[in-house]
Amino acid sequence: MTNIEKRYIIDSNKLSGESYFNSLLQEAYTSGLINQSDLENIQLQCISLLAYKSERYNMGESSSIRVETAESIMKSIFYTIGLYLKSLSNSDYAITKLKSEKISEMYERGRKLIYSRFREAKHIYEMVLSNRIETLNHSYNSTLSENGIGIFFKSYNIEYEAYDIPASIDYQLCNPVNDLAGIEYIQKYLENLYLENVFCINFATDSIHYLLYGYDKGYPDLLVNIFEQVLTAALGCSLANRNIRELYISQEDIQYLYEKLLKYDKYTLLLNIHKAAESIFEEFYITNYLLKKYIEKSLPKIATNIEIAIRLNTLNRVFITSKNPDLEPRIQFKSGVKMDDEEYRRLIEELIRCRYTSDKLELIKKKVKSFDDLEDILIDAQLEEDEFISLFNTLGDVEIAAMIKRHPFEWDFKNVNTSEAEHVLQLYLESYIKQLPGSRRECIFQIAEQLLEVDAEI
Amino acid sequence: MNAFPSLIQKQAVDEIQECNDFTVKFGLTLSRQDAIELVETRNLSLKKYGRVEFGGGVINKIIKEFCDSPYISMNNYVGTLHELIEIFYFYKNETLDLISDDELIKFMKNSFDGKCQGSIELLSERELAKMARNLRYGYAPDYSEDSGCEEEDEDDQY
Repeated sequence: MTNIEKRYIIDSNKLSGESYFNSLLQEAYTSGLINQSDLENIQLQCISLLAYKSERYNMGESSSIRVETAESIMKSIFYTIGLYLKSLSNSDYAITKLKSEKISEMYERGRKLIYSRFREAKHIYEMVLSNRIETLNHSYNSTLSENGIGIFFKSYNIEYEAYDIPASIDYQLCNPVNDLAGIEYIQKYLENLYLENVFCINFATDSIHYLLYGYDKGYPDLLVNIFEQVLTAALGCSLANRNIRELYISQEDIQYLYEKLLKYDKYTLLLNIHKAAESIFEEFYITNYLLKKYIEKSLPKIATNIEIAIRLNTLNRVFITSKNPDLEPRIQFKSGVKMDDEEYRRLIEELIRCRYTSDKLELIKKKVKSFDDLEDILIDAQLEEDEFISLFNTLGDVEIAAMIKRHPFEWDFKNVNTSEAEHVLQLYLESYIKQLPGSRRECIFQIAEQLLEVDAEI
Repeated sequence: MNAFPSLIQKQAVDEIQECNDFTVKFGLTLSRQDAIELVETRNLSLKKYGRVEFGGGVINKIIKEFCDSPYISMNNYVGTLHELIEIFYFYKNETLDLISDDELIKFMKNSFDGKCQGSIELLSERELAKMARNLRYGYAPDYSEDSGCEEEDEDDQY
């Protein structure tokens, strides 16, 4: 019993953070703090405030507005009053104010509060921009950009849409902001993001890049939370007695961790994770109370991930082994010199005229000496499916892999503008790959991943 | 709360009846029953077109603007007003609220007396529809695409 809290008539846990005013009225009415007549009085005051705001919205030029617009203005009024009432010491006191003060006065106080919160949020946004992480992750960068959260500070309509969040926010936080709207949401989101950045900038940009690359090669396009990955890796390093700053956990470490953590029950696991977090605080001299709280708030989520991973024996998906993309094995592929245009044209004409598949294959085999030419022929020579297959059969794994890399049959927004002939090639290539034995298919895909095309010498 | 709408309604009816002082010189008057029905039409139109109105005054403005029209007499006065009120709210939506009440009423009056020669149908289906389209596409309310072509056609006839 460390905290003794005063009990209030209205249970604040039952109040909604997003529509505070409405839920407060509901709770107050249910618990008898306000009666029917108070409620009607508040309703009438809200309607006359809505009438006043609607007139201002129309700039006196129109006496009527659309129902949706009126609803939006009303919602904005409720949000603004709610923000003021939320700023009071407790919900019972808020009810006293609600009964004694005029709705228009409370609205004005709420409006002033929103203006000051807006300035605060803008300041935090600048702080977040100054301590941002250097990363390739698109959702992180776009959310922080002028076209992401930046839009909010240009488009936020305090007067008529105070509850709205006119911003493009894709980046997912480790501890998402729930049950808040308007300026409150943005402020909380930015505060959390700031704390995540403060933690992440303790690590080298490259270490974070290698870690995320180890998580997924396509991490720049993923909706992945960087802080969560970094914190998990740091905890893993601490648990495996590795250097926390490097964020590197080897496969052997993961095996060691698996054997170590398997013995723990849920409580002991969480306790050990908390201890590991303490060692991280010590390592980086983290004394910021808010940051410590934020990290501690993230620990149960990470502990659950670890617990599930131990059960499923997939700990390597939680503790990621960093990977340096520059050190990955590469297969260099050179296409060879393309044939002369005139000669190519003659070959295509001959291939189109030719009736027999075997003759066509013989011709291609004899005349085509470079991969680029072969690719062009597949697109231009109007070959049938069985001819494609026969031709693919004559190719080695590397050539097939190079063909897949140039014509990926998995949908990609980059190849929406492919021609019909290229699309046909993709389809035949896909059906050819599908009928290959599994081991060869895997081998080809692996080669495709490691393939590095080198420009042909001219 | 129940007294609230009827109080506003009574006020609106009184305001409409006060317009009689102004329109009587054009030989046009409204009975109390007429005024009540006009307010009902306004309420129905607002509901039908998904709008809310806090102040009153639109009916009064329509009455005062249209009372000197050569196409309105006591015979068609009330009926025309009902139709004008409904058209008004319909085109407030159709114009995306880009035009003020006064401008819309003025446009309706000019078209009604001018090009439409007193035809409510032409006013609603042709002139106002064209004006609403113009506003939605960012043109001036009276912009006409085929004005140039018409002139050419006229020249061709001679």
